[in-house]
Amino acid sequence: MIAMDESNISFFKEGLRLDGRRADEPRPLKIEVGVLARADGSCYVEMGGNKVMAAVYGPREVHPRHLQEVTRAIVRYRYNMASFSVEERKRPGPDRRSNELSKVSREALEPVILTSYFPRSVIDVFVEVLQADAGTRTAGINAASVALADAGIPMRSMISSCAAGKVADTIVLDPMKEEDNFGQADMPIAMTPAGEITLLQMDGHLTIDEFHQAVELAMKGCRDIYEIQRKSLIEKYNHLEAEPVLAQEAEVL
Amino acid sequence: MTNVISEIKKDYLYNLLLKGQRTDGRALDQYRDCSVEKNLISKAEGSALVKLGASQVLVGVKMQPGEPFPDTPNKGVIITNAELVPLASPTFEPGPPNETGIELARLVDRGVRESKAIDLEALCITPGKQVWIIFIDVHILDDCGNILDASSIGAIAALLATKVPASKFDLGEDYPLPIKDIPIATTAIEFGDAIMFDPNSDEEAIANTKLIVITTNDGSICGMQKSGTGVLKEEQIYRIVDIACEKAKEIREKFLEE
Amino acid sequence: MDRMDRKVVIPGDLLSEEAKRSGEGTFVKDGKVYSLLYGLANYRDRINVIPLAGKYVPAPGDNIIGVVKDITFSNWIIDINSPYDGLLHISEFPTRINADEMSKYLNLGSSIMTRVKDVDSTMKVELTLNDRKLGLLKTGRIVEISHTRVPRLIGKGGSMISMLKKELNCNIFVGQNGRIWINGGAEDMDLALKTILLIEKEAHTNGLTDRIVDFLKKEKGARN
Repeated sequence: MIAMDESNISFFKEGLRLDGRRADEPRPLKIEVGVLARADGSCYVEMGGNKVMAAVYGPREVHPRHLQEVTRAIVRYRYNMASFSVEERKRPGPDRRSNELSKVSREALEPVILTSYFPRSVIDVFVEVLQADAGTRTAGINAASVALADAGIPMRSMISSCAAGKVADTIVLDPMKEEDNFGQADMPIAMTPAGEITLLQMDGHLTIDEFHQAVELAMKGCRDIYEIQRKSLIEKYNHLEAEPVLAQEAEVL
Repeated sequence: MTNVISEIKKDYLYNLLLKGQRTDGRALDQYRDCSVEKNLISKAEGSALVKLGASQVLVGVKMQPGEPFPDTPNKGVIITNAELVPLASPTFEPGPPNETGIELARLVDRGVRESKAIDLEALCITPGKQVWIIFIDVHILDDCGNILDASSIGAIAALLATKVPASKFDLGEDYPLPIKDIPIATTAIEFGDAIMFDPNSDEEAIANTKLIVITTNDGSICGMQKSGTGVLKEEQIYRIVDIACEKAKEIREKFLEE
Repeated sequence: MDRMDRKVVIPGDLLSEEAKRSGEGTFVKDGKVYSLLYGLANYRDRINVIPLAGKYVPAPGDNIIGVVKDITFSNWIIDINSPYDGLLHISEFPTRINADEMSKYLNLGSSIMTRVKDVDSTMKVELTLNDRKLGLLKTGRIVEISHTRVPRLIGKGGSMISMLKKELNCNIFVGQNGRIWINGGAEDMDLALKTILLIEKEAHTNGLTDRIVDFLKKEKGARN
């Protein structure tokens, strides 16, 4: 493997990025709703090379009991990466990174969940990264939001998540792996369709001006993702409604 | 966090059994529909997604050079782990594998190791210094019964699809991992004196005991495990072993032989 | 399949600019009505959103089916297919029994037809068996469907469920918590189960009652 460093990579070739995208173009996004039988709600997302599975259990009884809150449901979010999801095999189990990601992801979703409807219970969100390709936390939040809806959890709105980055002094949408590793800044956000921001993280270097650009670009990315989330949920329902199985069964008889 | 099964449900399952029937209409020794999708995880050297009925298991194989164990300086290393992640079942809790998860991983490992499916000596790079380490990681996605058999099929399917990543480590060109056998685990449960294969969640919950038999290409047994608190009679064990060989052969032929 | 008065919605969808039309499964913000749930919005005087999925939350007066999961000093702890357990106090048992005899009458795994007596603000759920129509279920079968489909299974004024009881020749008790008890001949119960699961699957479609009647006619015809 040839080691890459910033000075060696040209992130743009004839105005296009390493994977052929324009600066403001996101990676392809695929969403499947209700893919797991045991979970109360579930969603599988492919965002670029990311493959992420989210499941929601709840509201359900809290174990251990002492964690429960008398007036509302608690929300738990567990982000976890499969050992084979990354280039160098990862030791199973949580680490400091997954701990932090779990916390900010939970804080991205909790503001819209009506926890007061279910005192003394827990809403568990589990996100498993099956394949990682930069932006796993945003893919996870997108999947989790759909899984929560699929589970029938009451929410004021959906949450959509997307990252902006800076490479070769250009603000780009939805950084891929090389851009994330060797670029100049990475800024994931999550928001409601109305533009209320529930996740904001940043590392790298941005001027105030660049920051404004990045936020605007990421917010547009989130709005586009919201449309895809919405479409996937509506389509699942219409698929259920489309052809009553009953008519076919009667024919067989 | 185990759920109490109602007496009415137990009675219903038992009465069906007396007529040789199961809730999903299968015969007592019949496996649910199974599908195997290979190499869906490009970061892994080999991978397989197995769907057995509604159960779903994803197995990834990763390889990297490393140090051999001191007592086997010329042999590669196999490390098998299973993650029963809480996403897959309301009864799985976060944390390191418990005794069920550990048993599952060790049984998958037993099948691969004892069948000599992988020639460990061929995995030697520099004797005493460098060998290939193979990680077999089982990731349960949806537990609707019998995740062990699904994991066992997934493990060997992933290994069959594995390419040794020699080029990544300047050790030559990539090549397919040579696999010399196809071990398959089959699980039977005992309930009300009847034997059933490939239990679904309800059947697992009421079973007194399980007998897992791992067989190889030529129908020999390379691993066994009685699991659970019930008892088995000698003739039940022999009957299970006979059917196990047959079932493993069917599975091998349908999904794993190219 | 496009109807003006029913639409699939997701959380946060705008339903109306008139706050007074806010019904079940909706919330009001800045005078407008929005959906809280992923489900079917029903546009009547009020707009209600019927969810596709979700957990059963007990309410006083609900008739439900529970399974005994634990026995404490003076309560049976009942699994009622909800995030909340039901508590059946020994005094709510129809006959007077001693605390040390509790497991003799209702043991772990016993299924009961019970009613929700009271639910307090901390979601402590009290159950009762003090009614001739309630009690231990010893025979028959119990099937579980999503509690969101129960209203459809019962039908307007009980129309669907009465039709089913008659056509299936079975005793049927529908629990608000999605658990349904059926009792009858083996073949009749098999058909009842099949029918109930079909109704669950198509609860949101139109003309369901008529289709079920036809379905039952054909199934019973094929049997004879």
